[in-house]
Amino acid sequence: MRKMLRLVSVFALVFMTFQVSFASETLKGPHIQIDWLAPQIFAENSETVIGIRFRPDPHWHVYWKNPGDSGSAPKFQIKSKNAEVGEILWPYPARLPIAHLTNFGYEGDVAYLLKVKTGMAASLKMEVNLEWLVCQEECVPGFGVLSLSRDIKGTETVFAKEIQSKLNSFENKIPSAGLDSPYRLAVSELPEGGLKVFVSSKANLPSEVDLFPVDPEYVQPAQPKITKTDSGFEVAFQKSATAQKPASLGFLLVADKKAYKFSGLQIGALTATTEPVSFAVLAVILGSALLGGMLLNLMPCVFPVISIKAVSLLKNENAQERRKDGWLYAAGVLTTFAGLGAGFLILRSLGASVGWGFQLQSPLVVFGLIVLFWMMALNFLGVFEFGTAIMNSTGRIRWQGSFATGVLSVFIAAPCTGPFMGTALGATATMPGWQAMLVFIFLGMGLALPYLALTLSQKLAQKMPKPGAWMETVKQFFAFPLFATVLWLLWVLGLQTGSQGWLATGAALLILSFALWLGHGRKSLWKVIAWILAISALTYSGKQVQTAEASAEVSSNSAWTSYDENKLQSALQSGQPVFIDFTAAWCITCQVNKKAVLETATADEIFKKGNILRMRADWTKQDPAITAALSKLGRNSVPVYAFYSGKDAKTRLLPQILTIDMIHDLIPLKEEK
Amino acid sequence: MKKLITLAILALMPMGLAHAEAIPGKPAPAFEVKDANGKTRTLSENKGKWVVLEWFNKDCPYVKKHYDSNNMQGLQKNYTGKGVIWYTVVSSAKGKQGHQSPADTLKTATEKKAAASAILLDESGVMGKAYGAKTTPHMYVIDPSGNVVYAGGIDNNDSSDPKVIPASTNYVSAALDAGMANKKIEVSSARPYGCSVKYQ
Repeated sequence: MRKMLRLVSVFALVFMTFQVSFASETLKGPHIQIDWLAPQIFAENSETVIGIRFRPDPHWHVYWKNPGDSGSAPKFQIKSKNAEVGEILWPYPARLPIAHLTNFGYEGDVAYLLKVKTGMAASLKMEVNLEWLVCQEECVPGFGVLSLSRDIKGTETVFAKEIQSKLNSFENKIPSAGLDSPYRLAVSELPEGGLKVFVSSKANLPSEVDLFPVDPEYVQPAQPKITKTDSGFEVAFQKSATAQKPASLGFLLVADKKAYKFSGLQIGALTATTEPVSFAVLAVILGSALLGGMLLNLMPCVFPVISIKAVSLLKNENAQERRKDGWLYAAGVLTTFAGLGAGFLILRSLGASVGWGFQLQSPLVVFGLIVLFWMMALNFLGVFEFGTAIMNSTGRIRWQGSFATGVLSVFIAAPCTGPFMGTALGATATMPGWQAMLVFIFLGMGLALPYLALTLSQKLAQKMPKPGAWMETVKQFFAFPLFATVLWLLWVLGLQTGSQGWLATGAALLILSFALWLGHGRKSLWKVIAWILAISALTYSGKQVQTAEASAEVSSNSAWTSYDENKLQSALQSGQPVFIDFTAAWCITCQVNKKAVLETATADEIFKKGNILRMRADWTKQDPAITAALSKLGRNSVPVYAFYSGKDAKTRLLPQILTIDMIHDLIPLKEEK
Repeated sequence: MKKLITLAILALMPMGLAHAEAIPGKPAPAFEVKDANGKTRTLSENKGKWVVLEWFNKDCPYVKKHYDSNNMQGLQKNYTGKGVIWYTVVSSAKGKQGHQSPADTLKTATEKKAAASAILLDESGVMGKAYGAKTTPHMYVIDPSGNVVYAGGIDNNDSSDPKVIPASTNYVSAALDAGMANKKIEVSSARPYGCSVKYQ
């Protein structure tokens, strides 16, 4: 009976709310009061943020723009005289669980904000035709007209202190543009039907994050599962089984009590279900993998190492030993490729967005390579002899040395994605595991083949020059490409970790060299001290590198904007052609193309003439958004050069070794109908 | 994969954890629920007929929007007249808003001049949860072979103001009209809007 009475009273109130039609500066409905957070006087020609405040009863709530499973966002129809009124700004919401459903809204007071621009008129009049829904578990809708009338005068917008501070508190909850924040989101579909958003940060990771889907249908409002990893947060949502998959998604990220809005996020398919390719296609891909692997030998990363290996081989007259050496080297290469392949597949199955060269996205790996190359260069110059050589500096073949050279070759080959490799590597992103693994093995076979042929074939070996004193000279000479490599890797590390990491690494190299000199041919006490010095320098600097913050952004020259999905979409919608340079500091091919072609005056002129928007997607550090963009193009390595003509949705991928003619060709392409 | 999901759902069913969903293009979940007259109704008995399910809570303003304006009753009359089976489903749990005894339910139906084939009393929420019904109203259209062809809101305007109805696009009648004329159903799902279903 009491319940009945309460319902009756609710009805009466509902009935009353339908009657509120006269305008006033405050409105009252069942369980809710509504008023303005506005100044007493507006300044002339000013822009002011004002708010429409909703104050629900305790435990009642009103809704965010996306209300979630049920409920409804308030609706605002604004009529104003003498002022321009912008769109409604929505403070970030809270998750409100209702039974097994989830709503997005506000328990407690909230203000929906608007930007108001005044001119020279003497007064401002505004009427907002409101419809709202206020709910606990039951819901009561309301309607009313909220009016505002204020003077416009002077140069000072006058607020009551309390109103100003209330406004500020809500303004702090209005999301800012996600792309201006250090955070990045990458969306991918999980094979088991969910949706995963990876949150990464260019600066410190916050202690916790929350994400709210902007889209009301596709992403389920239910609390997602949030896992923190070293590189960011994985946020796993359920998605609706009924709704159409939208072209792109929007999310509100809340980190450290601040909200950021990301929109136009494409759903990457990096973790989508894999599709086996037909035998013929596989054959072509494996062929290009083999060819690409062979060409790797000529790339500046691998060439010095292979050459030294070949030279040292000459000293050995014993054909059988040479064969053994060759096979061991091949085994080292293949094992490493298989290992990298397995690592890549495991990461892929976990839904991580990685690509070829991912090992170089870790500053610690780069640090390790710097130390290695430095030692090798010193060794080539004869500063010291390796005890158990990685390289065969003494001419005696060491089996583990051959195997290790194989491992090393693969590791240092990563920065040089050569021709033919892009397609093969890109294909691995969506292939089933066994096929992807085959591609990796074939790449390895390609890399190992030239050297293997040299060791197996007497004919080839006879063509090689006779061993002699010149070999020492050649070896010493090759120290310099290695020093160059060290220099370049230091630059990469500097971009990744800022000058702090650069300095730490430089110091480590200095102390290492000193330790080598200290321990060289002295008593064992000095040797011990040298070892301690070397090891502590390495561990200390390694730690520094790991924790160093990248303060240095990759300097982008002003003609190139950094990659941004939104800018790309809006450019394409307006019909402007776009050229994207997917690059990384650790990718040599990319650097060569950049200097030799993309940033030449000629190219600049062509880009300008064609009104082509130039974008640079920098993959020096792990960036899921760029990984996702790459995977959409069917690639997972850099360089990739993508051109959108702006005329249609087609994307043209340019070859990985650019010439200025290719850039020239973009222009007629633009004029094609 | 889809099979696995179904299996997983079936495995979880007895545990009462199933958050299933009626998905357009897939067979509609089976149900067996007593109506307000005490008669047991199932989906399978209606094989060969078009079936509409409408989630209902007499006290929800959004339900009122469509009943006070006679919109819902008009649809019920029109389509039951064409041989469609229309079930109004109440999933309000005991003690929750909208829950009524069978006798009171019939009274409400008479007061509202409802013209549904039957009103199903799903106070355990089993049927509601099997369909993934979230709001009142939440609408489902099932074709004669038992597949869901529409799931979601009744129309495209989530205002609680009945005045917006004439200008709204009604997805339920669009699905039924197209489906019964053997034409392609353009919109097979839309966001359901309204009050939350008052489950236990």
